[in-house]
Amino acid sequence: MKKIILSGALILAAAASFGQIDRSVRPTAGTPPTINIQDSEVFTTENGITVILSENHKLPKVSIRLVTGSDPMNEGTKAGLSKIAGQLIMSGTTNRSKDKLDSEVDYIGATLNADGESMYLSCLTKHVEKGLTLMTDVLYNANFPDSEFERIKKQNESALLSAKSNPDEMSDNAERKANFPNGHPYGEIMTETTLAAINKADVESYFRKVFTPKGSYLVIVGDVNKAQATEMVNKYFSAWKGGPVYKAELGEGQFNKGNRVIFVKKPGAVQSKVTITFPVKMKPGQPNQLPLTVTNGILGGGGFGTRLMQNLREDKAYTYGCYSGIDITDNGSWFSASGNFRNDVTDSAIVQLLKELDDIGNSYVKESEINLTKSAMAGGFARSLENPQTIARFALNIIQNNLPKDYYQTYLKRLDAVNTENVLEMAQTYFTSKNCNIIVVGNEEIIEKLKVFDADGKIEMFDAFGNVAKEVKPADITKEQLIEKYILANTGTTSMKAATKAIKKVKSVKQVMEMSAQQIPAPLTMTTYFVAPNKEAMKIEMQGMMIQKEYFDGKVGASSNMQTGKKDLTAEEIASKQKSAGLFPELTYATSGIKVELVGIEEVNNTEAYVLKMIDGDKQSFDYFDTKTFMKIKSVSIQKEGDQVIEASRSFSDFKTVNGLQFPHKMTLMMGELGLEGKVITIEINGTVDETTFK
Amino acid sequence: MKKHLFAIAALTIAGNVWSQRKIEYVEYDLPNGIHVILHEEHATPIVAVSIMYHVGSKNEIPTRTGFAHFFEHLLFEGSTNIGRGEYSELVEKNGGALNANTSQDRTYYYELLPSNQLELGLWLESERLLHAKVDNTGIETQRQVVKEEKRQRVDNQPYASFLTEMFARMYQKHPYKWQPIGSMEHLDAAQEEDYVNFYRTFYVPSNSVLSIAGDINIEQTKKWIATYYGSIPTGQAINLFRDFENQSDEAFLKTYGVAKTKFDSKNFLGSKDVDALKLIKKYSAMPTVIPRPERNEPAFKGVVVDTVYDNIELPAVFMGYRLPEQTNPDAYALDMLNTVLSGGTSSRMNKNIVEKKQLAMAAFSFAFPLEDPGIGLVAAIGAAKVDIITLQNALDEEVKSVQDALISQEEFEKLRNGKENDIISAYSSVAGIAENLAQNYMYMGSTALINSELTKYMAVTREDIQRVAKKYFTPENRVILYYLPKPKN
Repeated sequence: MKKIILSGALILAAAASFGQIDRSVRPTAGTPPTINIQDSEVFTTENGITVILSENHKLPKVSIRLVTGSDPMNEGTKAGLSKIAGQLIMSGTTNRSKDKLDSEVDYIGATLNADGESMYLSCLTKHVEKGLTLMTDVLYNANFPDSEFERIKKQNESALLSAKSNPDEMSDNAERKANFPNGHPYGEIMTETTLAAINKADVESYFRKVFTPKGSYLVIVGDVNKAQATEMVNKYFSAWKGGPVYKAELGEGQFNKGNRVIFVKKPGAVQSKVTITFPVKMKPGQPNQLPLTVTNGILGGGGFGTRLMQNLREDKAYTYGCYSGIDITDNGSWFSASGNFRNDVTDSAIVQLLKELDDIGNSYVKESEINLTKSAMAGGFARSLENPQTIARFALNIIQNNLPKDYYQTYLKRLDAVNTENVLEMAQTYFTSKNCNIIVVGNEEIIEKLKVFDADGKIEMFDAFGNVAKEVKPADITKEQLIEKYILANTGTTSMKAATKAIKKVKSVKQVMEMSAQQIPAPLTMTTYFVAPNKEAMKIEMQGMMIQKEYFDGKVGASSNMQTGKKDLTAEEIASKQKSAGLFPELTYATSGIKVELVGIEEVNNTEAYVLKMIDGDKQSFDYFDTKTFMKIKSVSIQKEGDQVIEASRSFSDFKTVNGLQFPHKMTLMMGELGLEGKVITIEINGTVDETTFK
Repeated sequence: MKKHLFAIAALTIAGNVWSQRKIEYVEYDLPNGIHVILHEEHATPIVAVSIMYHVGSKNEIPTRTGFAHFFEHLLFEGSTNIGRGEYSELVEKNGGALNANTSQDRTYYYELLPSNQLELGLWLESERLLHAKVDNTGIETQRQVVKEEKRQRVDNQPYASFLTEMFARMYQKHPYKWQPIGSMEHLDAAQEEDYVNFYRTFYVPSNSVLSIAGDINIEQTKKWIATYYGSIPTGQAINLFRDFENQSDEAFLKTYGVAKTKFDSKNFLGSKDVDALKLIKKYSAMPTVIPRPERNEPAFKGVVVDTVYDNIELPAVFMGYRLPEQTNPDAYALDMLNTVLSGGTSSRMNKNIVEKKQLAMAAFSFAFPLEDPGIGLVAAIGAAKVDIITLQNALDEEVKSVQDALISQEEFEKLRNGKENDIISAYSSVAGIAENLAQNYMYMGSTALINSELTKYMAVTREDIQRVAKKYFTPENRVILYYLPKPKN
């Protein structure tokens, strides 16, 4: 200390002479400060609660966290149950309605919340008695009212909808499914179906089962001493009763053989979210945990100095941030590295990510790197001590994971001992660039460039909730046969000659549909026109206001909409329209130059369907025909417009005969993230169609 | 006996009603204009070293937006004595963490370090202020990074464009009409010289506040500050020094008429040459003029209604109202008004719109605390199948109910208890204290405000809340933005 003061005085003398300092000399560190981790008090109650008290009198505040001791449970067809239950816990008690509860909590300026596994109270010390009264009222008397149950379910329906446009959620779902398939609770993802299957009785029984005093922890932090804490626990928690704690042996996750690329479509995305992930055989507190954490720290564990950040952000400027992390839990652990990359560098970014995973296991990391990470971790450890919750978390970890009592006291010493040999061993033992799940959420246009990363060259397509798309089966007929069967079925005829005759009788079709969507305030009216041989038009109106209009009169056409105004069809668009003109454009595929391919049989809307793929320049479309009725049940068109890929899909059902022809009377239209439900109001055959329709 | 103890403890604390934890600090100006604030506390062996520069996106010119935020990135590229990429490495390697952020009004840089590394932190920030590297290599790298940041934070996030859309319609003249992220085209179009000029104008001692909080010894800290910051040239002499370092001998001679060799490179201010000293003296006396925009925007007339089509699933409505600058005495009542409307689960908007009527996924109202007159926002993201007009009406109804009747005494008490809890909790970290001290000095003109915040809130009456609701939340004077899912063809 004396030394420091001395050098300080010297510097001051120098500063006095107009600040003559040599700025190229970097200041050196003073004596390292001592870090004291205060011991927490631990005691147990008769009904089985372990109480952990961490006193801290800096602020007149107390927090109390109740952590249940159960392992994650299988939810199967009711995936999402613990989440729904968690959201419902604060919905009211037999003594207090939700309104009353909320307002009493807010009245004392407290925080009281809950999730499926824990409850948390934080308030000024002077309000702690009131806070505990409210907390334990919920714990003992939560009553899950019907109205709240319905409200939370509805809210989750909306949340699931928006999850479909959130790349982070989509990626996270795919990651969980990929690492923890086959019924591991971590891989169970709530979908619209599982949400619908959850009922109130499930929630109640879940709550009673999980919120039991046996095996639970009560973590008290802040401005109370042991006598006060004991008093509080006795007064408020001795009446708590419950069954045994649920314990399960869950697997370690699924380790791949070879890299597996999983793609989740996000139409119109300007960048891809890439996640490289695999399970790790590790439990909390095992001796390798700390060296492995150091290894991850060097790779991409945070800060600007990591290999991932230096390579992908600072050197290549592919991304704003790229990080890796290891989640280590008692029930399964996994590694993941991820970042957001613009479309055209997505594949390059994956190359670099895999390269970094390789490099770290191929040679010793530099001393400077390991020192950087170790110092960063030591600093992070010191900084974390500012938060009084940290000390309590340490105590809880020690008890939950059977760690040595001095685990955190010795943390810095153990960290200091990690060397480059340990790091190489950790990287070789736990990291892989060859057996990864490579998850990409993004624009479908980049998918071809990703095939090289997959061990068998086949990219798996997941939906937003991590469910695998069904496999395509080979077709049992030719594309010509398919088109013929489709035409016959549609016209109710048995020969192509009869069919052609029936089609020729149709001079015009005018169809009016009412379209509704949850995102749109009022229903839309969509009118489509066809006039033989090749005129077509479509208009969409909302309460009499024209929103969109398109027409093609056989030679020219245009589209106009509210925002962009009128745009004439380009020469290519006209050529494309001419190729697919007519009531059944399928009849002219053979001559029009559209490339047609019968892809196979896929399941669509729970029905087996032949998939017919059409390519016309930049435009691709897919039609799906019911393998039994040969009706066209779905049609998807994908078109490139500048940098964006625009996808529209229509599903058809409720087929009825009109003037001898089959017409679907229900349609679902999905355009990007907008979904519209349509039903036919009228279909008029051979009526007069105003010529202005095509202007 | 135990019970007794508890009661006494409770009593002592209850006696302390409204006394927020007093934050002790010392503050002073260096001769070159840097304002220094020091707060000493030893609970944890860490220290926060920060500099706040009084430059934000509102100091930009309309054809060069995004500059202030861009500098937040650029100034991590290094300095005369710090290599490229080394800035963060030095901090991390010494157990620290660092970051920066930019608002419309200021740019803030900080390091959080083990307390034995305080001198390192002081040196690092002084290097950034004195002679950061502003060159094409760094500019190119950071351009890409900033573009990725915009894609990630704005373009690819549902609803995230609402700030851009709202501010653009709320202001016609004031530079608040663009967001700190700015225009990527402007950043592309700008030349090295534009960037250098921005640095020379805004990154000067008199435009900065050095705020340090944590496990420090004040006397020792003052000495280090004298060394690293006292030696930074004052007035325009700082730019004379920067030119001395960056320009060739020829260029320097041409610009200043004195050869570089006349200066002492090791002790610039202490150069012995008469001509050199004369020049230093002349430039030291030349103050740096910081361009600041006209504070007040022309009066806002009528309602602006517009629709934004975004990659979203659920529609949303955002309504913006003109609010006074954050130093306005009404700011406290406005903040409390926002809490009445949307603070906590029992707030009016959450209770009525989200829970009872089930019209929204989330409903909120908040103010943007800005140095010049800012924006109050009332907004909601609709629940599935709810139309946007119904949603808007529900929001309007909540605002109107506060205007039409005083909030109840009970609601008022709740509000005050909540504020008390917030303010007591606010100063639990040294990083938060350092930033608050700097901010209070820079905008509010008084560092001491950090200790009277609770008193100011407690002085707000129910009538004040009603009054500000009527005064500022006028339906004929706002911007209404509807967010609807983007039709895809």
